Amino acid sequence: MLQIPRALIDEMVAHAREDLPNEACGQVNGLNGKAVTAHRVKNIEASPYRYSMDPLAMLKLENEREENGETLFAIYHSHVASEAYPSPTDVRQAFFPPGDLDREPMYPEAVYILVSLADDPPQVRAFYIRSGGEIEEEPIEVCNSADSR
Amino acid sequence: MAIKVQVTSVIQRAVDGQRELDAEGGTVAELIDNIDMKYPGFRGQVADDSGELHRFVNIYINDEDIRYLSGKDTIVSDGDIISFLPALAGGSAACIG
Repeated sequence: MLQIPRALIDEMVAHAREDLPNEACGQVNGLNGKAVTAHRVKNIEASPYRYSMDPLAMLKLENEREENGETLFAIYHSHVASEAYPSPTDVRQAFFPPGDLDREPMYPEAVYILVSLADDPPQVRAFYIRSGGEIEEEPIEVCNSADSR
Repeated sequence: MAIKVQVTSVIQRAVDGQRELDAEGGTVAELIDNIDMKYPGFRGQVADDSGELHRFVNIYINDEDIRYLSGKDTIVSDGDIISFLPALAGGSAACIG
C-alpha cells in the first residue's frame, strides 16, 4: 500500500488538467520513505500522446534531492484519453536503453503514477515496472499530509 | 584541461556511482573517449558502436543541448560543465520507436 498525501494527488490531477490537451509529467520526492512533494516538470514533447521530461529540470530536482537527503519517490504523468495504466511505451521507456526489458529498470525504487483524465473524476493509480517489463499495481491509500510525515 | 562532468541515474552506474567527475578532451567525443578509458563501458551507455550518440541520452554543455550546437564535435573548454542525462519519457502512444 502506497500512502500519498491528498495534497499531492490533488496537485498531480490539477497539473494534468492544466496541461490539456497535452500529457503532463513530473516527479514526487520522498523523505524517509514517504511522499513529501510533487514537482511539475515540463513535457518537452508537448504532445497528447507522449511525454519527455525536461532533462535540465530533472537534473536540478536530482541535485536538490541530493542536498536534502530526499529520494525519487514517484514519476508521474497523465494519459488524457486512456486509462491510468502503463502503456507499452511507458514500459519500454522505463528501461535503458528503451525496450531492453531484461535489465533492471532505470528507476527501480520509484513508482510510476498514472493520472487518467478519460473519466470524471480522474483516476490515479500507481505501478512498479519490473525487470522483464512486468507491471505490478501498488494500491494507493490517500492520507492527510500530516499523517505522511 | 579538466572539464567537470555531471551524470545521473543509470549513467551514474557506469562511473562507479559518482555524480560528478573530471575528464579531459577538446570535444564532446574526446571527453567520452577519455571517460571510457577510466570507466570501460561508459561509451556504450551514451553512443552506439559507430560512435553516434544515443538519442535517449541528452548531453548538455552548461545549459545548452549539444544537438543544437555541433553534436559530438562540440568544442568543450575549461570551466564548462558537461551533463549526461538519460531521457525520462513515455506516454499513451502505442509506440514511439
